[in-house]
Amino acid sequence: MRVFLLSLLACAAAQTVLLDPLSVGGVRPDCFLLLVLCSSPRVRPELATIQGFCIGLCQDALSGGPLGLKAFTYSLLGFLTALLSHDLFTDKPLAQFWLLLVGAASAGALSFLLLSFFMGLAPLLPALWVIVPETLYTAVVGFLLLRLPWVRATLARAT
Amino acid sequence: MSILWRLLAKYRRAVILAVALVMAFLLMTLQVRHDRAVVSFTRQAVLFLMTPVIKVTAVTVGSVSRVWGDYVDLRNLREESLRLTREAAVLQRRISHLEEQALETQRLQGLLVMREISRAEFLAARVVGKDSTNWFKTVLIDRGSLAGIRRNLPVVAPDGLVGRVVEVTPTAAKVQLITDPVSAAGGLIQRTRVTGIVSGSLGAGLKVRYLPLMADIVIGDEVVTSGMGGVFPKGIPLGRVIAAERRSGALFQEATLAPKVDLSRLEEVLILMGTESRDGFETGGVRQP
Repeated sequence: MRVFLLSLLACAAAQTVLLDPLSVGGVRPDCFLLLVLCSSPRVRPELATIQGFCIGLCQDALSGGPLGLKAFTYSLLGFLTALLSHDLFTDKPLAQFWLLLVGAASAGALSFLLLSFFMGLAPLLPALWVIVPETLYTAVVGFLLLRLPWVRATLARAT
Repeated sequence: MSILWRLLAKYRRAVILAVALVMAFLLMTLQVRHDRAVVSFTRQAVLFLMTPVIKVTAVTVGSVSRVWGDYVDLRNLREESLRLTREAAVLQRRISHLEEQALETQRLQGLLVMREISRAEFLAARVVGKDSTNWFKTVLIDRGSLAGIRRNLPVVAPDGLVGRVVEVTPTAAKVQLITDPVSAAGGLIQRTRVTGIVSGSLGAGLKVRYLPLMADIVIGDEVVTSGMGGVFPKGIPLGRVIAAERRSGALFQEATLAPKVDLSRLEEVLILMGTESRDGFETGGVRQP
């Protein structure tokens, strides 16, 4: 619990302050999404849902988007990741990368659908210019992070 | 009752998921219906808890960057002699510090010039954080309601309009940039006095929509705020036209703007707290007579 809260605060600080120099064409990796994808496979689906909801709510509060957008997305993503994924913490790098990629793409697509439903925000093409780079960037950064021994150790300790 | 509990326990995964999804859905619905009380409370509570961490991180990162800059500068100096190296290191540190001060002074002078020009009442603030998603364009500033900031106050930089305040906590506020996809402001083509709606888009840049089909718009035209809409005062630079488009069959034409302010490098901004200016600028969304 303590590790989760600290990770959440660290994510908030990283996403709003630290990641700006890593921005490529205005797109940054999504730390909150990485936290959902990395923490969910290690806990029960019900806890992953609650964690996803809290992470999403924090991201919504720090963003200009509607409150509940990411909370909805991450609750569902956390639940599904916890339910389906046992591969993210294996030593199969390709499986890890694909799971991160699919998770990030699903989160982007779901956010787009919710935004379109509630705000009629944008046609698909401009949205793809956000979803695709964000998905790739987040998956690559997540993949590299999961290669670091201390990240794996922290995640293991957290559960 | 016990049957209910047993059922809940049996299907607790589905129940928890459903509760989380319904709560999130309700929050979004409330926001769309402009029922701001619950949403605003939740948002402000989370912001209130998170802002101190973000502020501390911003200050720490600033200090570490300066120290790192000094370190890099030091490494680049040639080691001709120990004494000279030490002197050079000291000088280099002083230069870095002075350069930083000079740049800051330059920026603040720009803000002062703007303040004098528009005779408005301004409040300066530092940008301490950026939007947490790639979908929206907002920034966090280090002044809040304790400094007198309210929702909808316009935010400017020396070069032009930055956006408006959309969320306020006692010690921080969130500013929606003009490039945000859900931002909109009344715009005026300075040369031809044609008005339109300037809004952000998911890609970079600004769009001017609802321009009359026959309006004369050329690349390079300057666009300023029109003063219509009740939030932004008239005459603040918005951007320069870089493309104009007339689609066949469309009722209006559309232009693309390059923003006047480099919104990716914002460090300090000014909040227009209200003014005695010539344009009758209103405060807090209420027009002054």
